[in-house]
Amino acid sequence: MFSKKIFRDARYFQIIFQSIFLCYGIYFLQWQNEYWLYATYFIGCLGTQFLGEWFLGKKQTPFLKRYKAGIPSALISAFGLSLLLKTNDPGVAIFAAIVTIVSKYLLRFNGKHIFNPSALGIVIAIVLTGNAWISPGQWGSNTVMLFGVMSLGFIVTTRVQKLDVSIAFLGVFAGLLFIRQIIYLGWPMDHFVQSVSTGSLLIFSFFMITDPKTIPNHTTARIIWSTAIAAVAFYLTAFEFINGAPVYVLVLAQPLVPLLDKFFKAKKFEWAPSTNYTLQEKEFLQNIYSRSSI
Amino acid sequence: MKKKLLIIGAFIVMSPLLYSFCGFYISKADGTLKNKTSQVILIRDGNKSVITMYNDFKGDTKDFAMVVPVPVVLRKDDIKVVDQSIFQKLNDYSAPRLVEYWDENPCYEYSMMRSKSENKQNAPLSDKLAGKVAGARASVKIEAQYIVGEYDILILSAKESTGLKTWLNQNGYKIPANAEEVLDPYIKSNLKFFVVKVNEKEKQKLNSNFLRPIQIKFNSPKFMLPIRLGMANADGDQDLIVYAFTRKGRIESTNYRNVNIVSNKNIPLFVQKNFSAFYGNLFTTQWNKENKSVAFLEYAWNVTPVNPMKCDPCVGNPPTEQDLAQSGVWWLGNKDWNDYSDVDEEEYDNGTRNVHFTRLHFRYNRNSFPQDLIFQVTPNTENYQARYIITHPASGDFNCAAGKKYLQDLRARRKKELMELTYLTGTNINNWQEEAIAKNDEEINSSVQYATLLPQVKDEMENKESMPAGLVLIGMGMLGCAGLLRWKGMI
Repeated sequence: MFSKKIFRDARYFQIIFQSIFLCYGIYFLQWQNEYWLYATYFIGCLGTQFLGEWFLGKKQTPFLKRYKAGIPSALISAFGLSLLLKTNDPGVAIFAAIVTIVSKYLLRFNGKHIFNPSALGIVIAIVLTGNAWISPGQWGSNTVMLFGVMSLGFIVTTRVQKLDVSIAFLGVFAGLLFIRQIIYLGWPMDHFVQSVSTGSLLIFSFFMITDPKTIPNHTTARIIWSTAIAAVAFYLTAFEFINGAPVYVLVLAQPLVPLLDKFFKAKKFEWAPSTNYTLQEKEFLQNIYSRSSI
Repeated sequence: MKKKLLIIGAFIVMSPLLYSFCGFYISKADGTLKNKTSQVILIRDGNKSVITMYNDFKGDTKDFAMVVPVPVVLRKDDIKVVDQSIFQKLNDYSAPRLVEYWDENPCYEYSMMRSKSENKQNAPLSDKLAGKVAGARASVKIEAQYIVGEYDILILSAKESTGLKTWLNQNGYKIPANAEEVLDPYIKSNLKFFVVKVNEKEKQKLNSNFLRPIQIKFNSPKFMLPIRLGMANADGDQDLIVYAFTRKGRIESTNYRNVNIVSNKNIPLFVQKNFSAFYGNLFTTQWNKENKSVAFLEYAWNVTPVNPMKCDPCVGNPPTEQDLAQSGVWWLGNKDWNDYSDVDEEEYDNGTRNVHFTRLHFRYNRNSFPQDLIFQVTPNTENYQARYIITHPASGDFNCAAGKKYLQDLRARRKKELMELTYLTGTNINNWQEEAIAKNDEEINSSVQYATLLPQVKDEMENKESMPAGLVLIGMGMLGCAGLLRWKGMI
């Protein structure tokens, strides 16, 4: 039963996959001199989650239970920061972790987060402190297969209905880049492959933009929304030469979600896969997915 | 064991040093142009860039011609020639370094002073360029035409690549046949072409055989170096050293992986004789190991004129304020190079006088580098240097207890150094036999000599296993388990 619980919750999978990416970076891509940064993100996220739950959590459930239930989501946020945000300043790292976690408690609307927590943490840290940056080059381009396969594997394995967001975003973004680079400018194929095979882009499209707590509920709305993000991100990347444009655009596009939810009425995101559950299991799932955070 | 840093040996490591930078040399005569390593100084702040290109053209200057894609039409003020020596200064200052330490004899107080000479290596020349002609109707516009220093400069814009190619050919330039592949995308990206020839009249006035580096400045959100054009006339690998100065911090590549070259390693004493070869080997090994498509960081330091510590240790003089101004750093308030009419006053007031230096080393070829180099300025102000350490043993006799312990430690340390050497340079341990034996003249117990230790290290290394494969297996295992559970319907 316990293993069932573990594997029913897609977040555990996300943690496993993200930790594989992080290990890969550390062991194969030479990120080893940044251990302290990762440690700071994890301590910062878990610590803020603790305080957040203490002061801002729903009081009807016992504190420890609530905190324990929130740990996976705090870990996911910490991984998100570790994989994307670089800084030399421990203060900035802690600040990013605090913004990430606190946004989950304070910036809520209709039971959903207004902002994608890690994306918000990253953008705020970069814009406000000026002492943090995204390093799109850190993944190299030789890892695309590994990332593609694993990310797809993650989604298929967990059968969460958010593949549409990833596919729409990646499809539109890569499609526009293809039109621009290959068809219009006439670069050879490997030029284009280099553009889309960066790990940051795949991490973003499979692990960040897909957060079910921050995307529109209706499928059509989701596709419109991610297509728009892809189009704007493409414009900023190709014509304004802005690095990490997708993350910025995601944060800016986030306030549109409640609006889209209003126009496209749909059931709230339902995590239930196809199999039939016992009442107990349903309760468990309900409990997991209706929590304050993903 | 106490160690004393006494003196630093500086070594210039410019493996075969030649070749085109961002653009390509085009020969007017069908001759052989050689170039292999290029050097570029990049200054970047906001949307403003200054690029200085080192010119090591060898041959008849009548045959010299160069094409560099630039994002805007440059004005005459935007172009100047600078003193060649600036490149040597920057290279000397930022090159990978060998540092020396001396052990102290634990049995008595003893120290010695020695000095080291500098060791510079001349680069072999190689590589061919063959030009071919193709014809079509020209549709080229000369946007501007200047004489700057010893150069005739044209800024061209073109509607299509065949036209540009034809124009260049008709005007006596021979350009590589495969340049068209990149000319087209550049034209469509609205880039202009900065075309340079030597003006013989002006050249004679100078009474010097050198072609001075050309410096250009412009405003553009693009922070890149167009290396693709340079690949048109080079087969094989080309080295590029980028010296970058920014106000904020390090620069890094955004479309290729950034790797700090391995540093702070203890290596055997005999490497001292041939540090250039050692670093050349090391670079090639690391480059292969990291899958080639990488930007290697060799040096990063805060070189702000008021910063008291500009290197630790210094192997060359840190760039002075004049050097920085000469390189194109405009925010130091140097009046000489202050003619940016497009720089708003406000920025001068708010701006700090910080200067951060980054040295990146690329080795590119067509397959590993399908895109031009794109950079970003990061707020990363951490210092970094490629630094390798040799340690001289103490001398005298070691009859006291501490002395015996010292010899034992020394043996272990030297074994480690030998292992490190083979690991870093990817060479077989047997390759170092000669050097190790040559080093045998040391006045020290034979049991700690490199030649004695070498066979032992060899045995030990053969028994070592590789570790990273284990990680891949763990990852695969995890995936496998998940798949199995899924299949069994457990998740």
